[in-house]
Amino acid sequence: MRLTTTGVSSNFEGSIVGILATEDMPIEQRETRIRFVPPHDASFNAADENVAGYRAILSHDALESSPRMPYVHLLRESAHLRDGDIVVLEGQTGLVRSLYRPYELHHHLFVTERCNSNCLMCSQPPKDKDDVDALTVRNLELIDLIAPPPPYLTITGGEPTLLGDRLFTLISQLKRSMPDTELHILTNGRTFAWPEYARRFAELEHPKISLGIPLYSDFAGAHDFVVQAKGAFDQTVTGLHQAARNGIRVEVRVVLHRLTIPRLTKLVDYIYRNLTFVEHVALMGLEYTGYTPRNIGELWIDPYDYQDALEEAVEYLSIRNMTVSIYNHQLCVLRPSLWNYARKSISDWKTLYLPECKTCEALPACGGLFQWAVKKHSDHIHAISLQEQNPTRLC
Amino acid sequence: MGQSESTDVLQVPQAVVEVNLAIISAESLLKTCYWFSRDFVCDVRNRSELIADVVLTPRHVTSAFDAASIQEAFTTSAMDFSLREKIEAKTSGIRDLLLAKAFSESGVLEDQPEGMFGDIIEETKPDSMFKILSNPQR
Amino acid sequence: MARVFYPVERVAPAPTEFHLLPFRFMRLHGKEVLVNEAGEFLFVPTGTVRGVAEGHLDNGSDLYRDLKAKHFIYDNSSSALLDVLAAKVRTKFDHINGGTKLHIFVVTLRCEHSCDYCQVSRQTATRGEFDMSTATADRSITMMMDSPARDITLEFQGGEPLLAFDLLRYIIPRAKTQALERGKNLDIVVCTNLACVTDDILKYFRDEGVKVSTSLDGPAFLHNKNRPRPGNDSYEKAIEGIERSRAILGMESVAALMTTTSASLDYAVEIVDEYVRQKFHSIFLRPISPYGFAIKTRHRTGYEMERFLEFYKKGLAHVLKVNGSGYRIAEVYTQILLTKILTPHGTRYVDMQSPAGEAWSVLVYNYDGDVYASDESRMLAEMHDRTFRLGSVHKDTRRSLFTSDPALQLFQASCTQALAGCSDCAFQSYCAADPVYHYSTQGDMYGNRPTSGFCNRNMEVIKQLFSMIEENDHDTMRILWSWITGEAVKNEVIECA
Repeated sequence: MRLTTTGVSSNFEGSIVGILATEDMPIEQRETRIRFVPPHDASFNAADENVAGYRAILSHDALESSPRMPYVHLLRESAHLRDGDIVVLEGQTGLVRSLYRPYELHHHLFVTERCNSNCLMCSQPPKDKDDVDALTVRNLELIDLIAPPPPYLTITGGEPTLLGDRLFTLISQLKRSMPDTELHILTNGRTFAWPEYARRFAELEHPKISLGIPLYSDFAGAHDFVVQAKGAFDQTVTGLHQAARNGIRVEVRVVLHRLTIPRLTKLVDYIYRNLTFVEHVALMGLEYTGYTPRNIGELWIDPYDYQDALEEAVEYLSIRNMTVSIYNHQLCVLRPSLWNYARKSISDWKTLYLPECKTCEALPACGGLFQWAVKKHSDHIHAISLQEQNPTRLC
Repeated sequence: MGQSESTDVLQVPQAVVEVNLAIISAESLLKTCYWFSRDFVCDVRNRSELIADVVLTPRHVTSAFDAASIQEAFTTSAMDFSLREKIEAKTSGIRDLLLAKAFSESGVLEDQPEGMFGDIIEETKPDSMFKILSNPQR
Repeated sequence: MARVFYPVERVAPAPTEFHLLPFRFMRLHGKEVLVNEAGEFLFVPTGTVRGVAEGHLDNGSDLYRDLKAKHFIYDNSSSALLDVLAAKVRTKFDHINGGTKLHIFVVTLRCEHSCDYCQVSRQTATRGEFDMSTATADRSITMMMDSPARDITLEFQGGEPLLAFDLLRYIIPRAKTQALERGKNLDIVVCTNLACVTDDILKYFRDEGVKVSTSLDGPAFLHNKNRPRPGNDSYEKAIEGIERSRAILGMESVAALMTTTSASLDYAVEIVDEYVRQKFHSIFLRPISPYGFAIKTRHRTGYEMERFLEFYKKGLAHVLKVNGSGYRIAEVYTQILLTKILTPHGTRYVDMQSPAGEAWSVLVYNYDGDVYASDESRMLAEMHDRTFRLGSVHKDTRRSLFTSDPALQLFQASCTQALAGCSDCAFQSYCAADPVYHYSTQGDMYGNRPTSGFCNRNMEVIKQLFSMIEENDHDTMRILWSWITGEAVKNEVIECA
C-alpha cells in the first residue's frame, strides 16, 4: 500500500506530524489532528473559525478559500489515507508521508537513512545525509501521538545506532509512553562491539527490547563482501557478544541468496557454537527492491532450488532446540517439511498474490509475495492442492 | 625409516625402528614409547648422535606378530608427536593468552574493537559519539 | 555522495599468511580429526595437520574457510576473535562455576542386602553405631550450605537410607530451612533399594518434594543374582517399590540406575528391554566399578574392559532400535559424552569432568562426620585407606577442607590438560580425569594412561560416537539429539551404588 504522496503546501516551511481526522472533531480534541478532506467532500467548510485548533489541513481537492493555517492540498493520491492514520506533512516539498496506520499488524519507526554498511541486497539503500536531528524530532512527535500502544514496534533505518544518544532518547521515550510495547531494533550490530556502547544501551533497562542482527556467513570475507564493509564481520560478532554480555536479547537474521546459501548450514553451526545466546534465527527470502535489482546477477537463486540447503539448516537448528523461522517465502516453493517454520511476515503494504494464487488452497496460511515480485519471483509459484499434502502441516 | 629383524635365537620376535633424532625429538620419542609401553617393552639404543634404534619386544607373544606394521605404527606415532610439538611451539603463547582471557574477570583482558567505523558523517565530526566511546575517560 | 559497490578483493582481500590457534588431533577412520581448545572438532583429509603445521594451505579453499570459521587458524585479513574463542572455552568449564553442587549424606551403613560388590554395608549392626548423629547432621547441613553454589542437590545414601528414616525426617526440614535462609535452590534425592519402603514414607517424600532413585540391574535373574537378600526377592521388591513410589510421587520423581557386574555384561539387550518394560525413559550403561573387591586384582581390568565395550555397543544399538520403533529412552553415558562433543557446554556429571569432579563438584559426608572427595574415596577409607579423606565436619571449615593436603594433591592430578597422555590427546575436552580411580587401580593418582581402564574405555566409546557423528545418519542423529536436549534426562545424574 502506498506510503507517500505529494501536494501543494502553504503557510509552513517545516514538518507537521498529526493524526488524520476525516470528520470534524470537537475543539478540545483537535490539537493532535490534521483535518483530512477526501475527494469531493462538499461538507467541508474551510473557513478559519471552522478549522481552528487543528495542526493543519490536508485536502485532496483544492481548497477554495485560503485558510491562514498550514495546509497541503491538490494531492496526487489519497485513497491510501484513512481516519486515524498518523502522517507527516513537509512544508518545503508538499510531501505527505504516512508514518503509522493503527489498523496494520506491523509497525516501523524509521530513524535514519544513514548506514555504515552497504549490503548488496539492501532494501533501503543508505544516503550519507545527516537526517538524524530532523527525524528524531519527527519521531518523538510521532511517539507522542500513537494510541493505543501497539504490541510490537520495529525500529529501523539505515543503521539506528548511528543516532548515538538520540536512539537512547527515543527508546527512553518509548519506555515511558508505551512500556508494554515490545521493541525490536534492526541493526548491523557493529556499534555494539564498543563495550561502552553496549553498556549504555543496557542501562536504558527497557524491559522488552531485542536486536535483530544480520549475519551472512561463518567466514569473515564472505560476510564482509555481502555487506560491502571490511571488518564488519568482526565487529558484528563482537557486537553480538557484547550485547549478550550486557543482557540484551538478540536475534540473527540471514537473507537467503546465492552468496549466503552455499555455507548456510555452516553458518547456523557457527551461530549455534559461537552465538549460543541467540534467541531466534530468521531465514529471510530476498526482496527484489532497493539495491537488489542492480546486483541480481550475483544474488539470484530460485528459492525452489535451494530447498536442500534450507531444509538442512532448519533441521540443524531445530534438533538443537533453537528457534528458527522462515520469512518471505511462499508455501508453494517451500518443502512441506518447512511449512511449520514459515511465517506470514510481509508488511501489509507490501503483500501481493499472483494469478496462480487464486485457486491455491494454502492461500490463507501463505504470506504471499512482495509487490515487486511481479518483476522477479520463483519459476515455481503454483497453486497447492492440500489433498496432496498433509493438511495438518500448515501452521 | 624402519628395518625389520626377527631374532629366532631368543624365540621372542622383536621389531626394531630406526629413528632419526634430527627429525624426532627425544620428547616425541619418549611419548611414543609411553603409548607403546602397554604392549611392548621399548628399549632405546643410541646408535650415533643422530640415530637411535628402538627395540620393541612384545609383552604378550601372539602368533599375529607383524614387524612391518608395528614399525609403521611406531613411526607414524612418532611423526605425529613431532607434529604436535611443532604445533605446541607455535601456539603456546596464544594459548596462554586465550586461557587467561577465558578465566579472567569479564572485560579485564578484552580487546578493543578493530577496524573502521565506516560512517562518513560520524567520522568527520570532531566530537563524534564513537570517538568518545573509544576513550571513555574523556 | 553516490555509493559504489566494491569487488571482493577490495572488501575482503585474500590473506597473505595464516597462524595457528591451539588444537589437538587424532587419526580416525582414514581421516584426521582436529579438536580446538573449545572442544570443537573438524574432520579433515589425511595430511591436513601437516599442511597446517607447516604453513601450506590453499587460502581460497573450503577447507581453509572451515579451519578459520572453526577457530583452528587465523590470518591477517580479519580478527582472530580471541575473545569469542575465550568465551567458548569458558562455557566449556561452566560446570565448575559456583562450587560444589552435589552433597552426599551417608546417613547409615546398615543394610539388609549383602551385595557382592559392596563392602560398606553392615547387616548386623545395631541402630546408632553406624548411623549419623544429629550433631553430625547439623554440621553437615551447614557445611553443605557453605558451598557458593546456588543450586544444591542433597542426596541420601547408605547402606540403606530408609533404615534411618527418622534421621531423614530430622535432616530434610532443617536443610530446607537453611536453603531458604541462604538463598539456595535445594533438590533432595534418596538413593534406596526400596525393599522396606512404606506408603507413609512415600507420602512424606511427596509432601517434601523428595525424589527417589533406586537400583534396577536388569531382569529378575540378573538383579537377584547381583543383590542377595534373605528370600532372594530383591527384584520383586524393587519392582513393587517402583510401582508404589510412582503411584505416590509421580513417574518423573522415580529414577533407576543399574550396577553393572561381570554377570551383567552378557545381557545388554535384556537389561534394556527390562527398563523399557518398566517404563523408564533413561538407562545408564555404566562401567563396572573397579572399587570394592576388584581393586585387589589390578590387571584384571583389561579383559573386563573389552567385555564392557562390547556390552556398551550392543546396549546402545538396542537402545537406538527401541527409539526407532517409537519408545523414547535415552542412554545416559552416551548423552553425557555427546553433550561434551556436540554442544558448547561441559557436563555436570561428576565422574566425567575435568577438572575432576572429586571435591569440586561432589562432597560426601560420612555417618561419622568425615568428609570425602567422592563416594569411591569413602569406600577406600572403609578398606583402611584414607588418602582421600579431606577432613571432618566437626573440625573443618569449607576452606580447610579444600586446602587440606589430600585435596591439594588431588587437585594437582585433576586436569586432563596436565596429565601424561591426556595433554596431547584429541579427546582432552571430552574426557575426564579421575585421580581416585587411578589411585585405586594403579596405585598412583596421576595414572598410567596406556594401561588405564578409564582411558581405554572412554577413548573407545568416544571413537564409536565419532563414527556415528561422521556417518551422520539422519534418524540416528535425531534420536541422539533428543537425548541431549530432552528433559527426560536431566544433566544432573544421580550417583548411587
